[in-house]
This record gives sequence, structure tokens and C-alpha cells, in this order.
Amino acid sequence: MQFIKGNHPARWMVPIIIIGLSALAFWQSTQFDRVPPILKRGMQPEDFPQIIIALIIFLAVLLLIKDTDERPEKITGKVWPSMALIIAFALVIEIDLFLGLGVFSFLLCLLWGERRVKALLLVGIVVPLIVFFFFDQVFEIRFPKGILTNLWYG
Amino acid sequence: MEAAFSGLLILADPYLLALILIATLGGVLVGALPGLNATTGVALLLPFTITMEPIPAIVILTTIYCAATFAGAITAILINTPGTSASATTCLDGYPMSQRGEAGRALGMAAVSSTIGGIISIVCLMLAAPLLARAAYHFAPPEYFALTVFGLSMLASIGNGSPIKNIISGAFGVLLATVGIDMLTSIERFTFDVNELSDGISFVPVMIGIFGISELLVQASRLDVVRERISMKAIKLPSRADYAKVWKTILRSSGIGTFIGILPAEGATVASMIGYNEAKRWSKTPEEFGKGAIEGIAGSEAANNAATGGAMVPTLALGIPGSPTAAVILAGMMVHGLRPGPTLFTEQSDFVFAIFWSMMVVNLLFFVIGLYGAKLFARVTLVPMQILWPMVFTFSIVGAYALEQSMADVWVALIFGLIGFAMRRYGYSVVPMAIGLILGGMLETRLGQSMVMLDEQWWLMATRPLTLFFLVLTVLALFGPYMWKKITAKPAKYNSIG
Repeated sequence: MQFIKGNHPARWMVPIIIIGLSALAFWQSTQFDRVPPILKRGMQPEDFPQIIIALIIFLAVLLLIKDTDERPEKITGKVWPSMALIIAFALVIEIDLFLGLGVFSFLLCLLWGERRVKALLLVGIVVPLIVFFFFDQVFEIRFPKGILTNLWYG
Repeated sequence: MEAAFSGLLILADPYLLALILIATLGGVLVGALPGLNATTGVALLLPFTITMEPIPAIVILTTIYCAATFAGAITAILINTPGTSASATTCLDGYPMSQRGEAGRALGMAAVSSTIGGIISIVCLMLAAPLLARAAYHFAPPEYFALTVFGLSMLASIGNGSPIKNIISGAFGVLLATVGIDMLTSIERFTFDVNELSDGISFVPVMIGIFGISELLVQASRLDVVRERISMKAIKLPSRADYAKVWKTILRSSGIGTFIGILPAEGATVASMIGYNEAKRWSKTPEEFGKGAIEGIAGSEAANNAATGGAMVPTLALGIPGSPTAAVILAGMMVHGLRPGPTLFTEQSDFVFAIFWSMMVVNLLFFVIGLYGAKLFARVTLVPMQILWPMVFTFSIVGAYALEQSMADVWVALIFGLIGFAMRRYGYSVVPMAIGLILGGMLETRLGQSMVMLDEQWWLMATRPLTLFFLVLTVLALFGPYMWKKITAKPAKYNSIG
């Protein structure tokens, strides 16, 4: 009997990663402070997470043995560049949230094939501006300070 | 009865009615746009309700739920792309009807059967939910714990994926719910000295990440899909002959949809599949299915809309979501300080009935919109993806930030967007994770309370009849399909030997 069915790496790598991360989480749970018996209210803080982690590890092992999933489809299209844009967005928002939103939207729109300047300006400038003022004025949400939002907040 | 009348009075407020109308239009828009569905729509629009009172806020969310579920049929019929997964079976007959110039008849049937299915399920909701809540009022922590475990076990059968992967995803959600200060002992868990994690991981940014941002990445691989809208002739209501042919199908599918919706975690998608299959099984002309059978549309649409009302039964009465979208609505109720369950029915029964009535109004509204506005909404479906998704991203990020006005939530949404995409890519549905996150806190609290109540002898749970009943149901939910497969496989094995 073949122990691990299927031979594409994701077939066994994903369960192994799950088991590894779960083992780390289990170890982390052993570091939680404990409370005296009178305060524990039925369970110590680590008890419940450990039950859940043990369940995840058990199921991941089962998956390793039983799963017969086929190889996942190759990532095609603009997925990787879009993901890179999301990561770049995460860095730009440290400077200004709306600068990040405008630049991200503009570049994503461009990346996905839009070439009309009006459409690019709509998603890159007009929509973020409308959203900013809508949330600022209607919901009274105060956005984090940044080089662009400071122009409004002063 | 008094509560039902009070709920109706609440709904008589013109402001609330205007909100329902706007939310219905918004919900139809969300459902009609390929890639967006009711769950994503509710998750994205939840932050818009933060400054509202609980009643209008939850009414808006349920309205979007009902309207988006219906609107998936518009794109399914006109462009062969289900706006929501619950409308996938509607494509099978809706699109062939459109191709032969009967788009109006198909949309008309979708609107009529959706409305009837929705209304039947809401009547059931009005009758069943208070009874269920009354029964649950006497539940002690062990019963609640076992019921929640049962609800989580139903996650195994969500979607077409592996049950093991679904349970891992759900358990991951439950584990995420343990992050932060433990409510029972006040000890910090998995916070890694990050202050923002002390209060735990907020539901809403996680939902926005796994449903909104991960979907953006999924759509990035589908940019080459060409969508063509079929020109629609004047909208025409189904004829008397059509009604004669489908009324039994509509009633049957409404019953199926309501029942499936009531089951924890099972939603409109499963309901529509079963509704469609049963319509075909009972049809006098099953060979027409898949080629433009009007019964197919009725079977699918009545069932998926009936599931919306059904799904709200356990959501409101027990605090156990009846569908993925109901899970997001449940999260919304918690954000607004409401605690769904039996006490909601005793303390805020007028609020509960206001929700019921609003769902009734939505069903009538989308009947009109479905018939007379479908042409307009069909045009919306052709909004280019490269314009739609940057806008969705902007709303996702601002929505994630707005709830707590915290940049940490933006990070949570982004991180869970990437996690959600990775999970979906490797066959792990994100829905169980969302439901696990919502129910995790309750599960642990009930377990802790049960341990105290039973003097830490957890095995005594099995001596409580109702607890045992739910635990047996859990075992059946987890192993029933497997056991059934084994049982039904036996004769084939003998045959092959013989």
C-alpha cells in the first residue's frame, strides 16, 4: 500500500506545513501562564487551544495518508503581479493610506489591461477621493495621518 | 403576536423602508456582478453600518443577503455566469433559454419562483424560530456546547471540497478565536506581545480579507474570460401554462430550500443543487433539463431563496449560522452588541420580527426589480473587471479600517486575503474558517462552563439526553456520508464477485 498517494509536492507539503505550524502553536501554548486551581473555571488557558491543535494535527496526518487530491492548477494570468502589488500597497500605506489606495488601484487597473486614461483616473483618483470624503463626512471616520490626508486634516 | 405587530410597526418607518429599497438595489447589484456574492457583499458592506442603530444595520445586511441571492440568477440567465454559486444550477437551463430568445421568460420565472420560495421560508422562519428559541431557552452549557460542536461538524460538507480539509479550516478558525486575552482566566494567548492582538482578532477584517481580497486574486487568473450579454426581449411574465407546469416544483423546492437552510452551515448553494435535482427527478420531461427547461429554473431558484429564510432560523434562535452569509450577519450582530439566541427572542422580540418583516418586503421588492430592472442590471454585469476590482479593493481596505479605526485591521485584512487565497488554491474552503472564528469563543466558553457545572468530569455530558443527542448527530454528520457510501457500495462489490 502506498503510504502517500499522489506525487506532486503540494500533496504532502501542505499537510506537513500545517503539522509544523500546529506543533509550533502547541509549543507556544505550553508557554501560557497558568492560573491557580480556584481561578481556572474548569480549564487552564492552554487546554482548549491544545485540544484544537491536536485535532488539526490528527486531521493533517489523516490528510497525508488519505487525500488523493490532484495537482492544483498552475497559477496563471496576473495573479503573481497582483499579489506583488498588494505587498507593495502594504508598504506604501505606511506613508499614506489613500496614496497607497490610489497607486494600487491605478496600477492594478493598468496591469489588468485597462488603457483608457479616463478609466485609470476614475479608479486611481476619483474613487479613493469619493470614498475618503464619504467616510470622513458621513461616518466621521478619521483616517491615519499621511502626506495626502494631512492636506485635509492640516 | 404582539411582537410580530411591534416588528411591523418598526418597519413602517419611512427611513427604514428607504434603506431597505436602497439595500435591495445594492444587493441585486452585488449579486449580479460576477465574482461578488452575498457573503462578500455583506462582509464588505458591514463597516458601512457601524454608525447605525442595530435594527437598520441588521435589516440592511439581511436585505443584501436576500437580494444578492436572487440576483445571481440574472447573470446566470443572461451571460451564463452565475452571480453567486447558488445560481450555478440556474445557468443550466436559464442560459439555453436566453439563447433561444426566451431570456424574459426565464428571468420572469426566476423572479416568481425566488419570491415564492423566499416568502414560504420566511413564514416558516416566523413560526419555527420563536419555537426553537423557546426550546433552546432551557439549554444548559453542555447542551449549548454539544449544539455548537454539531454546528461545526456540519462544516465538513460545505462545498465540494474534502471534508477533512473543511474541518481543518474550521478548526483553524476556532484556534484563531483563542488569540487574545482568555475570557475565563484573563491570561494572554498567542499575542506575541503585540498590543493589538490583546483583544483578539476582529471578525470583520478577517471576513473582508478572506472573502474580498482573496477573491481579487482569484479573479486575477480569470481575466481572459469573455462575457457576452444576450440581448433580452421585453420582459414577459411566465404564462399560465408555465405556472401549471412548475407550481409543484416551486413548492417542493421551497420546502427543500427551507429545510437545507435550517441545517447549520448549509446554505443556498446546496439547496439549489438538491432543488434542481429533485425538480429533474420528479419532472415528466427530465430529458429537457440542461437544454432550457423552465422547471429547472424554478427548482433551483425557489430552493436557493428559500434557504435564506431557513438559514436565519438557527442564526437568530441559537446563534449558530445557517449559511456562510448568515455567519457574516451573525458577526455583524455581535459587532452591534446583539447576542443571537433565545434571549434575543425574549428581550428584543420586536427587533427579531422587524428582521422577519424586512425579509418579506425584500422578497416583494426583488420580484418587481427582477421583472422590470433586470435589463439594467444585466448591463451592470459587463462592468470591466479591471475597473470593478480596484474599487472593491478600495472599499475592502477602507471598510476594514473604519470599524475600529485601526491600521492593524488593515494588516489583518491583507494577511487574511493572502491566507485565504492560499487556502482556496489548495482546496481549503475559507467559509469553515470564518464560521469557526465566529463560533470559537462561544464553544470555549460553553465548554468551560460545562466543566465547572460537571465538576470537571466532561464524560458526564454523555449522561444528559439532549447533549448526547447533539453529539450523536455530530458523529452522524461527520461519519454518516462515509458510512452510507460503504453501505451502498456493498451490493456492487458482491455483484462484481458474483
